[in-house]
Amino acid sequence: MAYVRVENAVKYFPREDGSEMLVLDGVSFEAKEFGITCLLGPSGCGKSTLLNIITGLERLEQGRAEVVSNHRESGKEDPRLGYVFQDPRLLNWKRVEDNLIFALKGMGIPREVWDERVEKYLSLVGLIEFRKQYPLYLSGGMRQRVGLARGLVIEPEVLLMDEPYSKLDHLTARKLREDTLEICARLKQTALLVTHDVEEAAFMGDRIVIFSPRPAHIADIFDNPLPPLERDMDDSRFIQFKKKLLQSVMRLIKTEEV
Amino acid sequence: MAKQEKAIAAQSELEAAVSAGVEAIPRRRKSAWTEAIQDVVLRVAGVLALVFVWWILSLIFPATLVPRPMETFGEVAAIVTTGDFFYEMGATLRRVLVGFGIAMVVAIPLGIVMGTLRSLESFFEPPVILGLTMPGLIWAVLMIMFFGLTETSAYAAVAVTICPMLAISIWQGTKSVDKDLIDMSKAFHASPWSKVMDVIIPQLISHILAAIRYGLGLAWKVVVVVEMFGFSNGVGYQVVRGFNIFSMKAVLAWAITFLVVMIIIEFGFIGWLERVVTAWRPKIEAWRR
Ligand SMILES: Nc1ncnc2c1ncn2[C@@H]1O[C@H](COP(=O)(O)OP(=O)(O)OP(=O)(O)O)[C@@H](O)[C@H]1O
Ligand SMILES: [Mg+2]
Repeated sequence: MAYVRVENAVKYFPREDGSEMLVLDGVSFEAKEFGITCLLGPSGCGKSTLLNIITGLERLEQGRAEVVSNHRESGKEDPRLGYVFQDPRLLNWKRVEDNLIFALKGMGIPREVWDERVEKYLSLVGLIEFRKQYPLYLSGGMRQRVGLARGLVIEPEVLLMDEPYSKLDHLTARKLREDTLEICARLKQTALLVTHDVEEAAFMGDRIVIFSPRPAHIADIFDNPLPPLERDMDDSRFIQFKKKLLQSVMRLIKTEEV
Repeated sequence: MAKQEKAIAAQSELEAAVSAGVEAIPRRRKSAWTEAIQDVVLRVAGVLALVFVWWILSLIFPATLVPRPMETFGEVAAIVTTGDFFYEMGATLRRVLVGFGIAMVVAIPLGIVMGTLRSLESFFEPPVILGLTMPGLIWAVLMIMFFGLTETSAYAAVAVTICPMLAISIWQGTKSVDKDLIDMSKAFHASPWSKVMDVIIPQLISHILAAIRYGLGLAWKVVVVVEMFGFSNGVGYQVVRGFNIFSMKAVLAWAITFLVVMIIIEFGFIGWLERVVTAWRPKIEAWRR
């Protein structure tokens, strides 16, 4: 279906004083098709910037970042991308279902399928009874679920998630991670997930791409030895994999200090 | 023996206190009904207090200066029953609503444009601020001199007086619009129309409602002034007529009917509008006493 290819991406931002700040210094990786690829890296290294480049909100100075799909000839039309933000970013004055319809309308999806889509994806995230509710009457975790449903409802080629669990409490986040994993596996959804939590990356990622601190390059890429629905945080194989990631990340931080 | 009784008494007292405490929780929260009734009683009491002060004054001053409340209310009843009221009030209301509508149609896009585009903000800021500073009376004079004693001059005077105020309020509101939501709407490729209607305007609702309140208040004042200048109908005209025959009773009676209509619009219509457009927001009033 679709995957993401980033080749030698270079990105500068202008500083206040007029000089340039190098954010991405030749980032290359390929995201896994039909699975979740985690972008794991320290705060400020440019992960969100990379997502913005993929969505087309920012431009690269060099290299390319593209969504490759066999449905489209590359470069002909925009890829269809779903976005899940750190905070839910819902339109609080619209009912849950109308928040999904806002995305469907924006992406130009024909009106005939709206109802069916809304029903399908709200059921998937477990909120079908709340379709007529206003977001401010829902809990934080439920609002984030609405955000996830809104990202999925447009049936994106790639789902982009930018630290979607970092504002939730521990247990709510844990449950939502499990559910996201199951939903993405069931839908065979290609997804990018930005995080700076090693355990989250080990749990969610079929592939984990480790960013160095800014200016970012790719330090390591790991493929998860465990299939999505067999990851158990207490299992020794999971713990081993997590350790491997942690070692890689710690090495980066140490070289930084030297 | 006595000790034991004491202990039992203390025990039952404790239980009573506990059960009272348990009951006290639901009791402390007044039901919506009780609260509504209490609210109405307080409002009525406020109005009665005003009438009482008036009545005291009417005992002190001669009736030509301060007529008795009851006689004035009789005059009000006469105005309403003869049907004059609906004709005159209708004319005034029409002027206010048309002028107000024109002002809204101009001010909402103007305010949004000023809040979103920096260059147009600089361009429109001076005229808007100047317009705000100009007293309504002067606008009224200018418009009557320009359009003559026609309905148009009344509409224009109302529109021009309140438009700057509406535009400023919407302009400031637009500047405080949540940028994250704009980014979200971009990520989902929302059209410019949908960005304005679904994302920006709903965030301006409280600003727009406040603007409607102030705007209506200003509009009433201007329209009465315009009507005083020589219109042959409307509440302002009736007040001037009362003045010319030096009938304090007539002036007050017209003022009262006018106030009543304003209050109905303010609490009835705008209150209703506010409830409808903010239904998505949970009511959090717990902090108020
Ligand atoms: N529009 C911009 N203009 C200038 N600098 C920017 C801009 N956007 C981001 N930056 C800078 O680029 C760097 C990378 O930012 P980015 O938001 O991509 O980091 P991140 O990896 O997502 O961090 P976090 O984990 O904290 O979200 C930061 O130092 C940030 O200050
Ligand atoms: Mg970020």
